[in-house]
Amino acid sequence: MANFDQLSAAQIAAGVRAGDFSATEVARASLDAVDAREPQVQAFLEVSADLALKAAERTDQARARGEELGPLAGVPCAFKDNMHLVGTHTTCASRMLENYESTFTATCVQRMLDAGATPIGKANMDEFAFGSSTESSAFHRTNNPWDTTRVPGGSSGGSAAAVASGEVTVSLGSDTGGSIRQPASLCGVVGMKPTYGAVSRYGVVAFGSSLDQVGPFGRRVEDVALAMNALVSPGRDPFDSTSQDCPIDFLEHLEDPIAGKRVGIVPQLMEVQGLTDEVRDAVNGAARALEDQGAQVVEVDLPNIASAISAYYVIAPCEAFSNLARFDGVRYGYQEQGCATLAEQTSLSRAHGFGEEAKRRQMLGAYLLSSGVYDTYYYPAQQVRTLITQDYERAYEKCDVILMPAAPRTAFKFGELSDPTQMYASDMFTISNNIVGNGGVSVPLGLGRDSGLPVSAQLQGPAFRDRMLLQFARSIERAYDASGIVAPDFAGKGGDLA
Amino acid sequence: MPLSQKDVAGIADYARIALTGDELQEMTAYMNEAVELLKPITEYDLDGVEPTFHPIGDLSNVMGGDVVDASVRALPIDVALKNAGSSEGRYFRVPSILGTEEGDR
Repeated sequence: MANFDQLSAAQIAAGVRAGDFSATEVARASLDAVDAREPQVQAFLEVSADLALKAAERTDQARARGEELGPLAGVPCAFKDNMHLVGTHTTCASRMLENYESTFTATCVQRMLDAGATPIGKANMDEFAFGSSTESSAFHRTNNPWDTTRVPGGSSGGSAAAVASGEVTVSLGSDTGGSIRQPASLCGVVGMKPTYGAVSRYGVVAFGSSLDQVGPFGRRVEDVALAMNALVSPGRDPFDSTSQDCPIDFLEHLEDPIAGKRVGIVPQLMEVQGLTDEVRDAVNGAARALEDQGAQVVEVDLPNIASAISAYYVIAPCEAFSNLARFDGVRYGYQEQGCATLAEQTSLSRAHGFGEEAKRRQMLGAYLLSSGVYDTYYYPAQQVRTLITQDYERAYEKCDVILMPAAPRTAFKFGELSDPTQMYASDMFTISNNIVGNGGVSVPLGLGRDSGLPVSAQLQGPAFRDRMLLQFARSIERAYDASGIVAPDFAGKGGDLA
Repeated sequence: MPLSQKDVAGIADYARIALTGDELQEMTAYMNEAVELLKPITEYDLDGVEPTFHPIGDLSNVMGGDVVDASVRALPIDVALKNAGSSEGRYFRVPSILGTEEGDR
């Protein structure tokens, strides 16, 4: 029988339902693939084999009792390690939380489990999601499955690499400034940041509370749509006051033609410094592919978009500083021993628990929120946020979605972007969508003509039009025959369904 | 005016992050570089532009009565304490909160 990495999420769920194979067999295949591929990929911080096998057994028992199985029955899933799951650690890839045991389960994780998914483990990330390469993980690097000398992107690099290498079928990440869409692009998989509020943040360690959003990775648009269905059901989460009802079936209309719809291109963004020729040409090619399917390409303007990165690096560090103040070394997290006073214990616990980038972001946030400085940066950044939001509103009067790159270049080498502010530019195409709260999706366009590495397009849309984004993503996927591809060095390594 | 090491030391104190001398030097360089990146924000004429603090505009505080609600997920004490670096009985244990003078401990 096939290797499980060739099956879509829907095929796995259907196979389990029909009795072609059991959820336990699929879980074993995924764990077997993890064993075989993980030495080169290193996507996981923790493999939860016991939880996986128990969850799969419950699915198989439910089937034996004749119960209706969930839409993700038996589907192997990885979770970014900033998501609580009882029975695992939640480390945020930080020494600060190295020994932290999850005390409850995040809503997003629970909803995937309720839909029948099998939890294979917790994925590596940039420490507290501060980064675009997963290099700031305190524990180990994660290698890009397409070229293991290169980064997988970040911050959800482990979630992207686990899917790209075929270790799991789907995974969850979180996206504060591009942390799902950029690693999806670098690893050649589909990655969706839903509209802010569509998915509950309860149980996900907070970074920037007005920016963070959880979303899925998959090797097919359809897999991402299935995961989205699980994440938004059964409606708003009473444990996250920003959670919104999102009563959408993401599979409905997925295969509908896009003929007659309008695709916006922002000429200014296609000429931006740092964007490589191969990515620009590939994205222009995607525009032509959508045109060939009957869409109309129109030029739109986002006049304030160039300031998005500045606004973001005011807002995000301020929110991070506020959120990470909870790590005081008292209730959880690393605690410095032998201190005479609480103040000393707090300062030393934070100094020795946090890595370099986590300290940088918090220091920047502390400064920007200090008296006098607040009025120079923080308040104006929130006003610029209004201008950027208005830019998008005007653009969406002329088009249904906006097409642009997901990342300015393909996967870079470890250590190549050693300057922190240079790294920040990795998110130049994704950040504006977090600032306004809209949805966006990365969809693979095959391999770049110069680098030979995965290139993606990004589709952005108006708030809560995420289903239409997936419909466009599916149209691109169809045109590029890019559905279900596992990085070639790892496809079929371990994971045969007996 | 760029931030001095003394400024940055003050911020580190406020942020409760102890920095060594070398770290202070690197952090000062980073902070000045990062603040330079933020400059476009200061170059706008923003008179009359309302701020957007949150993508969901009509948020309001969620209030509740001061009553034990069984549906609210409160952590049992043993679970709440299991990740603490130091605890005693039902409590988190911390060093002196007032000072280091003799007798404070």
